[in-house]
Amino acid sequence: MRKGTLTLTPALSLSEAEGARRLNEDTMSEIDQATDPAALIEAYYDAGWTDGLPVVPPSDAYIAGMLAAAGLRGDEILGEIAGRNTEVVAEKAAINAVMAGCRPEYMPVVVAAVRSLCAPAFAYHGPASSTGGSAMVLVVNGPIVERLAINSGNNAFGQGHRPNATIGRAVRLIMMNAMNTRPGLLDRATLGNPGKYSFCFAEHEEDHPWEPLHVSRGLKREDSAVTLIASNSLYQVYNQLAATPEPLLLCFADALGNMGSPNLKGFNQTLIVFAGEHADIIKAAGWSRLDVQRFLVEHTRRRLADFKRTARIPGAVTEQDETTWRHIFENPEDILIACAGGRAGSWSACLPGWGNKWTRSITTRIDVPGRTA
Amino acid sequence: MKLFDPTSKPVERAVMLAPRPTSLRGLRLGLVDNTKFNSDTLLRKLAERLAARHGMRVTVTNRKRSPSHEIDEAGIKALRAQADLVISGIGD
Repeated sequence: MRKGTLTLTPALSLSEAEGARRLNEDTMSEIDQATDPAALIEAYYDAGWTDGLPVVPPSDAYIAGMLAAAGLRGDEILGEIAGRNTEVVAEKAAINAVMAGCRPEYMPVVVAAVRSLCAPAFAYHGPASSTGGSAMVLVVNGPIVERLAINSGNNAFGQGHRPNATIGRAVRLIMMNAMNTRPGLLDRATLGNPGKYSFCFAEHEEDHPWEPLHVSRGLKREDSAVTLIASNSLYQVYNQLAATPEPLLLCFADALGNMGSPNLKGFNQTLIVFAGEHADIIKAAGWSRLDVQRFLVEHTRRRLADFKRTARIPGAVTEQDETTWRHIFENPEDILIACAGGRAGSWSACLPGWGNKWTRSITTRIDVPGRTA
Repeated sequence: MKLFDPTSKPVERAVMLAPRPTSLRGLRLGLVDNTKFNSDTLLRKLAERLAARHGMRVTVTNRKRSPSHEIDEAGIKALRAQADLVISGIGD
């Protein structure tokens, strides 16, 4: 066996396994520890630098390639969180991106996401450290989606696509390692959620009822962009019977206004993701983005009596409380709408934003050296 | 074996602490309410006790925009000018 290589062993009988064990021990003894990926991976675990999954051990060349792909010097500051004396240095971001498994060409997306994290309006401390345990949800738009093959279709929130899995993971590793946001310390999540490992998907801009998300937020269609919103929940919304927007959107209003939601009292933002069949219903009816937003602002509401019965507001229920409505959203633009997912299936999703109106979702243009988009 | 450290330490900045008071008697009290649920109530109760026991009086109250935000410069300036001692809260 060639020095420095390992083989995978298929299922063996006990006697065969004993022989294989000896063989592997002999083989392992020949392996230079410095070139053994498994030893390096364990070393990163031992140092406490992983998110629980194995990391890709960085090299000088891969880190340099990561920086070059984003047109960065290693000592550049990507952003800061002043109240926490935190600065994100490009080299550290690049190391974490390698560890996450990113290819160099993903780095501009990671950088844009980090700049979003550090935008003052995002108010990092709350969504990053809250007991609510938010995922940092990244929605990617523009020409870069096709170039990097970021999944916007079937299983857009799920597994199986390297850019989706690793870009989101890089952002979380940067938060943990370069922004000191570690579970149990400055990440105080009570439960957290699986989206904290990684949550990145692309918008499906074809067959979209309206302009893409980044255009609705002031960028040009030919721009590439990443939109960051902190969300501690993902509700899949099902409706196979609705043929018009109203009954379909009432399901969303109900999901967004459930009394267990943390976000009923502060006029926060939310992200709605329409998949193909539901997007078609809205498109066929000729509803605009603003029509959908206004409908949800109007219909996402609960009686004051509901708030009091569930002790979300103190006090005894009065007769007047039974007919006094409280709306959950204040402004139509606080309902972000994106399209993603497979063409088949009567599913969509809502991802309520963390906290109240003091944290805002952030859309940042992705700058790729040598490209205009 | 070569490892690349992915971590950053917080940026070190010099912080000048205010002199500690030797007595609480008659001090001017500043309150910083971070808007967490019941923070205003708790701070008010604390202020009442400090007034009763030590003759302190609330001279300035700052209600933060949110728990996530820092106090703005004007707020810091007012606390500096008008308070001898500041209580900030609350955690949950």
